[in-house]
Amino acid sequence: MTERAETLLLLAATLLVGAGTAVVTLTNEEGITFDAFVAATVFLASFGGLLFAIRSWAPKATRLLLPPVALLTALGLIEVFRIDRDLGRLQRYWLLLAAAIAMTVLRLLHGRGVEVLRRFRYLFLAAALGFLLLPLLPSGLPLGGATINGSRLWVRLDFGERALSFQPGEAAKVLLVVFFASYLAERRRGLAEMPRSIGPIRLPEPRQLLPIILAFGVSFAVLVYQRDLGASILLFGLFVVLLYAATDRPAYLIAGGMLIASGASGAQNVFPHVQARVDAWLHPFQDFAGGGFQVAQGVFALGEAGMFGTGLGAGAPYLIPAAATDFIFVALVEETGLAGGFAILAAFGLLFAVGFGIAVRSGDPFRSLLALGLTVTLVLQMTLILGGVLRLMPLTGITLPFVSYGGSSLLANFGIVALLSRISHEERT
Amino acid sequence: MSRAMRRIAAVSFGVVALLTAWLTFQQVLAGTTYSDDPRNLRSLPEPGDTRRGIVTSADGVILAEDRDGTRTYPEGESYLHIVGYVAGEDSAGIESTRAAGLRPLGDGSITSWLITLFGGSVEPPEVRLTVVDRIQRVAVEALRGRTGAVVALDPATGAILAYAVSPTQDPNELASGDVTVGEHLADPSSLDRVAFRLLPPGSTFKTLIAAAALEHGMSPDTVFEDTAEYLAPEAGLPITNATGGTCSGGTEITLREALAVSCNTTFAGLAVELGGAAISGIAERAGFNAVLPFELGAAISSIPAAADLNSDLGALAQTGLGERDVRVTPLQMAVIAASFGNEGQMMRPYIVDAVLTRDGTTLERTGSESLGQLIDPTVAADLVSMMIDVVSSGTGRAAAQAGIDVAGKTGTAEGAGGPHSWFLALAPAETPSIAIAIVIEGEGTGGTVAAPIAARILETWLGSP
Repeated sequence: MTERAETLLLLAATLLVGAGTAVVTLTNEEGITFDAFVAATVFLASFGGLLFAIRSWAPKATRLLLPPVALLTALGLIEVFRIDRDLGRLQRYWLLLAAAIAMTVLRLLHGRGVEVLRRFRYLFLAAALGFLLLPLLPSGLPLGGATINGSRLWVRLDFGERALSFQPGEAAKVLLVVFFASYLAERRRGLAEMPRSIGPIRLPEPRQLLPIILAFGVSFAVLVYQRDLGASILLFGLFVVLLYAATDRPAYLIAGGMLIASGASGAQNVFPHVQARVDAWLHPFQDFAGGGFQVAQGVFALGEAGMFGTGLGAGAPYLIPAAATDFIFVALVEETGLAGGFAILAAFGLLFAVGFGIAVRSGDPFRSLLALGLTVTLVLQMTLILGGVLRLMPLTGITLPFVSYGGSSLLANFGIVALLSRISHEERT
Repeated sequence: MSRAMRRIAAVSFGVVALLTAWLTFQQVLAGTTYSDDPRNLRSLPEPGDTRRGIVTSADGVILAEDRDGTRTYPEGESYLHIVGYVAGEDSAGIESTRAAGLRPLGDGSITSWLITLFGGSVEPPEVRLTVVDRIQRVAVEALRGRTGAVVALDPATGAILAYAVSPTQDPNELASGDVTVGEHLADPSSLDRVAFRLLPPGSTFKTLIAAAALEHGMSPDTVFEDTAEYLAPEAGLPITNATGGTCSGGTEITLREALAVSCNTTFAGLAVELGGAAISGIAERAGFNAVLPFELGAAISSIPAAADLNSDLGALAQTGLGERDVRVTPLQMAVIAASFGNEGQMMRPYIVDAVLTRDGTTLERTGSESLGQLIDPTVAADLVSMMIDVVSSGTGRAAAQAGIDVAGKTGTAEGAGGPHSWFLALAPAETPSIAIAIVIEGEGTGGTVAAPIAARILETWLGSP
């Protein structure tokens, strides 16, 4: 695709943000407000800046990456604003910040490339673990942990009257991918050898298995201490997929799958909050007023959608609890119909295709695994949350990349975009 | 490494494809199943298009339509307990269960989008019932001035052919507000005597006792002692026959003869001999003590548990005559009778044949659905042959049709205001196309009151197919 097409698509997304926001306010009989102009301007500034950074510091990067990201971000920006005006306005600041961070990443890697990240991998690991532990800080201090919706994933930064909450786990996710990729790029031969065997089952050297057990332990600790099922599955699933990719040994996939299955069924028996999620998934209407309420409201919203939806601003997605975060996809489907849902899925499909393409073409194992890990992060997040809201599996609270409201999530995902662009640039030089 | 990566990519695209298909499936499911849920705030009536479609009988008679913006029921009271009514916020019957199906189709759903895409009509649809107006008229006429119910269904499918209740009420008066819903609900005419009236089945229950006997190795020709009285072990009062003497006039009687003349002493003894487990067992297989799945709802027919029956043999003997604590709805009896004519297989009763667009495209069709095998086909065949004797030479002669074998069974159940008159019929007996259950409350015996009504319905049904 040419540079001109990329620019045109980003302008089209900008137009979509402005028009969409205007339609929302018009439908709710507020007329066209200043919001439409601000939203479009912020969007244009963010993506314009990002485009500038890529052209300057990763000029050979693929032109296919930004347009699907822009479409997803645009739809998210409109719908979050539609559900909650204040959240929508806040999301614009996060978008500017996310673009700034992505630009910074591109600038920093301009000199020595992603290779430099390998050197700091244990620093990244320590930082990631630190981020994961941060929410466990006692509440009440200027910087302290906070429990929201039953999960202790948040850190609250107190500025006297105002407080800013963010989920450091989102940043940990990207740092861990960098660590995993560099660790596995180095150790993959050792992990791929299976010198020992018990009967027909061939095993690698036991010491090689230590990291996988460690990863499982950390994921399980996240589940136990932070009560976050989604992040737990995401972290462990990511590690297992990368391990499989690095070694070409499906045995790791099978072993990991078995650990997830036994961990999940064990968790269901031990943790009431996991059991409640399973019940709400299977029988949302049985405990309608209680645990099933959110899922049931999601079903009602979906039923309202039809082919083209109620129209932006004309539905009632605000009836679903957590509509702007977990249920943003259902909210969008209610108002833009199956057509809108298909568009979002198609954008994700394209995004994944670009990500995997970068991973497969990259000659260097580290860059290849890094691109794969970043893409798989997006795939797993999309699968977990869409599977949850569409009742394919129990609902785990996790954000839909680029679409859901959430500052930390937006920052982390724009970081992924910056890294993917950089890797794409390097494999063409 | 790249082979694994390609596989991971392929699986990821598979997930996107799966989610796309699943989203479509869930949307259609949610849009059809839950859009009417009372807990769904989105289902509150929209101010826009409030038109409703028409309801028609299987032979094309309009039963409900919008006339100048008013909901009108041209056949009036004849269909109250089927079609129901819409009165302000309240509704009943098909008008309630099919409220969503009767709405105009241009509502933005996928279905409506597809219909318009292929040039179909998005006018409010037509709900077509299985009820045949020709038969319904005869049933309504026969019930006029009486208290009772007539229900007829197709044994092979479970499609309801007639569903008449008396007393009844003109739904137009409810729609116009001349009679309030509160007043109507306090009136006896609001009771659906087909599906919600629980009565002792009387001797019609002997068909199930006979079926249980055949299942336990007896045959229609098994001989019993014929006595004028039967006293169950430890029971207080003896059971006697309607005639006062023995049933055959002699000292022996076959099972076939006993059913034909509805011999109380034989069946009381048979019930005690078979035992509580066999009796409550066959009754529960026939749908007692369970919810009958039916669009308009139905009361639960009941029979005591085996242990309770065995603990009081006098009561068990009376259970063999369909008295004491056995309670059944006419609809349940009709479903049971129909199964005898369908090789022992019970069919789920249904009343809506199809939902159609105004230009005739089928949107939804109710299929026949089995409720399970009540008895073996051979047992069913023996039972039908015995029931033919009921009509040809027994208590049900009033239901006989010239040139056509009719299988039937009379019943006379004790009631506070006089005996309730029951009749079950299946015709033509070789391959039945109709099964009927009739009950007239407080008027006399099954053979004299209910059987002649069956005769009139069969005449109409078999006379002009």
